[in-house]
Amino acid sequence: MDRDSRTFDRDTLLDLTVNLIPLGIMLFFVVVFLFVNPFGEDRTATLIQMTILVLTFLALTVLTYVSGKVISDSEKELEEMDGIVVSEKVGLDQQPSEEPTEGQSEAGSSD
Amino acid sequence: MAGEQLALTVLMGVLLVGVFSLVSRYGDIRSYTPIGGQGTGGATSHGHAEKPSGLIRWFTTVDHKDIGILYGLFGTIAFVWGGAAVMLMRLELLAPGYDIMQAQFYNSLLTSHGITMLFLFGTPIIAAFSNYFVPLLIGADDMAFPRINAIAFWLLPPAALLIWAGFFTAPLTGNEIAPAQTSWTMYTPLSAEQVNPGVDLMLLGLHLSGVSATMGAINFIATIFTERGDRVNWANLDIFSWTVLTQSALILFAFPLLGSALVMLMLDRNFATTFFAVDGGSPILWQHLFWFFGHPEVYILVLPPMGLVSWILPKFAGRKLFGFKFVVYSTLAIGVLSFGVWAHHMFSTGIDPRIRASFMAVSLAIAIPSAVKTFNWITTLWNGKIRLTAPMLFCIGFISNFVIGGITGVFLASIPVDLVLHDTYYVVGHFHYIVMGMLAFAAFAAIYYWYPIVTGKMYQRSLAKAHFWLSMVGTNITFFAFLVLGYLGMPRRYASYEFDAAFAPLVQVTNFHQIATAGALILTVGQLIWLWNLISSYYEGPTVQDGDPWDLKDEGMFGREFQWFEAQLARADGGEVDDEVATDGGAPQEGDQTEPSRDDS
Repeated sequence: MDRDSRTFDRDTLLDLTVNLIPLGIMLFFVVVFLFVNPFGEDRTATLIQMTILVLTFLALTVLTYVSGKVISDSEKELEEMDGIVVSEKVGLDQQPSEEPTEGQSEAGSSD
Repeated sequence: MAGEQLALTVLMGVLLVGVFSLVSRYGDIRSYTPIGGQGTGGATSHGHAEKPSGLIRWFTTVDHKDIGILYGLFGTIAFVWGGAAVMLMRLELLAPGYDIMQAQFYNSLLTSHGITMLFLFGTPIIAAFSNYFVPLLIGADDMAFPRINAIAFWLLPPAALLIWAGFFTAPLTGNEIAPAQTSWTMYTPLSAEQVNPGVDLMLLGLHLSGVSATMGAINFIATIFTERGDRVNWANLDIFSWTVLTQSALILFAFPLLGSALVMLMLDRNFATTFFAVDGGSPILWQHLFWFFGHPEVYILVLPPMGLVSWILPKFAGRKLFGFKFVVYSTLAIGVLSFGVWAHHMFSTGIDPRIRASFMAVSLAIAIPSAVKTFNWITTLWNGKIRLTAPMLFCIGFISNFVIGGITGVFLASIPVDLVLHDTYYVVGHFHYIVMGMLAFAAFAAIYYWYPIVTGKMYQRSLAKAHFWLSMVGTNITFFAFLVLGYLGMPRRYASYEFDAAFAPLVQVTNFHQIATAGALILTVGQLIWLWNLISSYYEGPTVQDGDPWDLKDEGMFGREFQWFEAQLARADGGEVDDEVATDGGAPQEGDQTEPSRDDS
């Protein structure tokens, strides 16, 4: 598949794995609670129980997808802007002055 | 009588007008004149001519930096109030009986300490940094709504006066209007049935502080979304702004709910509604509403400190933050998950066991993104060129305290453990490791790190290090003793503890209380040194003449805020500066080819 046609590249997918672990934990408990119920039948309570997990699961999935997409699009945008690829270097080049400052006091040094 | 009252009113009016005119003319007061502060009013070479002098400037300012300083001053005053309250409590707890105060006064101090530290110190001290530095870090001219920013701050002093009102009115009214004794959780039916009007004042103050926080949050969201510089987008937004954005979203969803619940509580108290009555909506409804706000509040308080440490720690490790995007995504994950865990504060209330189990599951899940950050910080330190400056020491102390505070929290997320430890000092120890060990430590790190920018001066290093060590030792002695007290069965919120030996070992409990008080005294000495250092260094400290006081350029870690500071210094010298937004100076280290060379610190 063409790299550009994918929603996420490999690096982004790797970054997103950090949120897969909590998603996995919630999924694990959904399955466990479906099959193991030591507290007896109660449809309302079970519905609330599942809603808490499933809603949180869905919210985290959506947020992870959207934020991953937005950040990944922004990265491409940065790459397309001239001179921003090495943004840190650009930042340094833009320093107003590299001349030694006058009378650097002791305070000027680090702790 | 009417004539006397009229005369008094007129006299008071004349007095107020006199004070106002005196204040408005009092331009000779020592003005705040840091180079980074942009403007002192009057005729300075680098000031904004439109800013008035003296106190009027501070009452009318809409400059995000000035408002940041005001938040910082306010937070510090609240910290002193909350600290004084808890020191009195700790002295009372030196011995089991009622020795220096009665239970009512202890309860008042307990309530005031909790609410003050969370709402009047925690949130405002974070707002101090975010107001001052987020616009600088994202390349904005100011906040999106500068006047709303000012209003949000100026709601806080009246909020504080209302919250503390009972302490002032009690001696004047013969205890008719006494301080609230509800604890910060304001659990019903206790809080609904206490007839003391001081509780209403406290609730109104709390409501006002919530309005303030919400206005601030809306402002930050608008600022970060719409006011970023041309070259700052989501891919190179700094980590502190990410955490402030997430925090603001949490505030936006959590605080209005607190406000609504507070209004319902006030209706129950004053208009005989039954939202939280035992035979009405039930006290458990209050707990659900309160904790739906209350748990996100925990992350409202710790996410920006995590951002501060993620920003400052790499500067003194000589390496960019390891796994920057892991930290971003885990911050967002914490934001979402924090709304699915509230009932873990209510495991022992008798709610349905199935529902309880779900909250346990999400609580265990939220530990992962928190732990991810810890590993990222540790990995950033790994093989780094570590410089143990005062801000760095506080960052490392922060991580250490978070490990203990975080892991004790994971235990509490487990229902069986929680049922044993609920309402004991173990819980108090756990969350104090978080709020004192993390929030306050990150605040101290940031205060020292940015002190040169805000004041134009450098603090006294030996005092700063003494402050760190006293804080670190004091925190760990006090709150580790709390954890042990919890294991010994000491219940929280009590002014006395004369146990029957059949219930708990009184001698051991007394010993650990005394250890905790000794730790609190050490902490207090540390904080006095901190205050002295900040004030005396402001007046007498050496002036910072270098835009890079931390030698960050050598490491390629020269951040946007210090670039701005350097530009201000150059401008003060009459030099030309390029006003274009500069990007962060976090250059990749030699041999570090694993990440794209982007603004990751």
